[in-house]
Amino acid sequence: MENKKKRRLGKRIAGLLLSVMFLGLSIGETAQASSLPYDTYNYDYWENIVFTPSAYVPDVSVSGVNLGVGAFSSPQDMCVAPDGKIYVADTGNNRIVVLDSAMKNVVKVIDSFERDGQQDTFNAPYGVCVSEKNELYIADSENKRIVVLDENGDFKKIVDNPTSEILEEGYVFTPLKVSVDYADRIYCIGRNMFEGIMVFDENGDFTGFFGTIEVQITLWEKFWRKLATKEERSKQQLFIPTEFTGIDVDSGGFVYASNVDPEGVQAVRRLNPKGEDVIKKGESGNLGGDILVAMSGTYSGPSIIVDVVYRENGIYSILDSKRGRIFTYDREGNLLYIFGGLGSQAGTFTIPVAIESSGEKVMVLDSYRGEIITFIETRYGNLINEAVALRFDGDETQAVAKWQEVLKLDENNELANTGIGKAYLTAGDNKTAMKYLKLGMNREYYSIAFKRYRNEILKDNMNFIMTGIVVVCVGVYVFKRIWRKKKGKKAEGGIL
Amino acid sequence: MKKYFSKDKWNFMFYTMTHPADGFYEIRHRDRGSVPLAVVMVILFSICYSMNRMLASFVVNDVEPRAVDSLRELTAVLLLYLLFCVGNWSITCLMEGEGRLKDIAIAVGYALVPMIVTLVPATIISQGIADNEEAFYTMLVVVGIAYSVIIALIGIMQVHNYTLGKTLIVLFLTFIAMFIIIFVCLLLADLVNQIYNFFYSLYTEIIFRN
Repeated sequence: MENKKKRRLGKRIAGLLLSVMFLGLSIGETAQASSLPYDTYNYDYWENIVFTPSAYVPDVSVSGVNLGVGAFSSPQDMCVAPDGKIYVADTGNNRIVVLDSAMKNVVKVIDSFERDGQQDTFNAPYGVCVSEKNELYIADSENKRIVVLDENGDFKKIVDNPTSEILEEGYVFTPLKVSVDYADRIYCIGRNMFEGIMVFDENGDFTGFFGTIEVQITLWEKFWRKLATKEERSKQQLFIPTEFTGIDVDSGGFVYASNVDPEGVQAVRRLNPKGEDVIKKGESGNLGGDILVAMSGTYSGPSIIVDVVYRENGIYSILDSKRGRIFTYDREGNLLYIFGGLGSQAGTFTIPVAIESSGEKVMVLDSYRGEIITFIETRYGNLINEAVALRFDGDETQAVAKWQEVLKLDENNELANTGIGKAYLTAGDNKTAMKYLKLGMNREYYSIAFKRYRNEILKDNMNFIMTGIVVVCVGVYVFKRIWRKKKGKKAEGGIL
Repeated sequence: MKKYFSKDKWNFMFYTMTHPADGFYEIRHRDRGSVPLAVVMVILFSICYSMNRMLASFVVNDVEPRAVDSLRELTAVLLLYLLFCVGNWSITCLMEGEGRLKDIAIAVGYALVPMIVTLVPATIISQGIADNEEAFYTMLVVVGIAYSVIIALIGIMQVHNYTLGKTLIVLFLTFIAMFIIIFVCLLLADLVNQIYNFFYSLYTEIIFRN
């Protein structure tokens, strides 16, 4: 681990140099082979950037104007309902816009609801979520409440004013993002709430915090704090844990929550029902988006992850607002592919705030432009998704065919090489397995293959080895005797 | 040539490995060591080191083969060797060390022999081991390094006629001296560069005048 860290630091410095170099290079560059508005790449085992085919390409952009409901005004969140409808929290216009699954037409616009016989409206609805029962949860931020509407859009309940001993006195509840699990428990990210995700039970009662990120103080900082006087200390910045930025709940009730990690190591958590982080970090140990980042300049520093979406088969994607990239990981924490970028062309973002997916599409909400930008998977992306899905189901042999196709498109794909290597290992072809597992940089399975291969060779050549040992032993013995005799004669000669 | 690489010198190097205290005393007082041989050992060590980084099995090796540049490593090792010898010499001159620069160079060069001797078989053994058998490889490498460190320590101690405590202090000061040397060198390089730039701009100025 320590080694990795050191290497990472080295890489960062290298990254800085690289970015300077590229600056020089790009002046002379003319035509590009790909027509995509962004680079698609991945990191190899040594954390070098490797360019890959694109996994997703821009499809269409949908704005409020296209849909005929007027431009969105800084929309902050969106959600895909189980029936495929898309709910957009049009924060600045105080409304929720519901689109059909094709994103062609507006199904309805929710800007008010009837509560106890009175018309009630929203004030800056920031987050939106649809439960499995098709109930709509709206984080009505400036009204300091979560509004729950049933599938017909009728008022169901309101969650506000959480009361508890663990809440600070005078705390104003401002919900930003909201998510619901299968048991109608509500998970909510509140503004200035550093203790964790707020959890409400199905009756809307506050039950506690969830998934608190612990503050990490380095030894160095502790040392300085020891030296500082009380006054100095009070002026210093407080060590506050980072806030969560986005949440999504998978069908099993696990909560995926993204956060901003200033170290760029872990920007997403998978919280079990007890609130413990159970995410797997993969070979690289990094879940923070970009690994190789520039140290200074406009787009420097680690990724700022603003939202997470759980897709299916253990795959989840996180959205980086700093460089506008979407990083997709599988359940083991392997980085599958990266796409997206900032810019003003079609298919790029200005201020991306939310990510969702439905089927083969990935959608990103841009709050500045008030647009939903959709991406559609390519063959490359599709093959990876399917191979990962097959592996998720435990069907590694079937996955091999997919991985082989992936290799045709991207020769150096480490996951594909590992997948194929494992299949050869199961089939008993240890030598080929070794080759692929080495290409996939998988030490664990390479060692298994290597051990078997070694045994094979030993078994096959036992006769030669044993004979060789006997021959060598006898040879040494005979040689020694002859040598001694010669020496003895010489010595005798010397005397005489 | 013969004087430096005679069989006697060669044999005495290995004698020093097994009898370091005695050996280094002889080297200091009876000139039984050879600086060229020591330098050859340093070069050999550098080669073995690069080879280990490039060729050691995938299971134990976390180095990207493409990142290994043996020539660059050779220069780095030789420069470090020079730097250490000069640093140590400049400190021990002030601290009543009896050793000459020659003796320090020999002590450090000879001290690398155990590492050369273990790195090669370690690299070969690494080809035949799998995960969680790394202990064999690591042990060999660690033993080599430890032996080298001990030889170097005894070497410096004997050559200067120091006690162990004083040797450790001197080693610490040596590292500081090395940093100072590097700092001064960088400063000098920068200065030379600026002077060069000054004259170069003068030159261009004159060229454009006409």
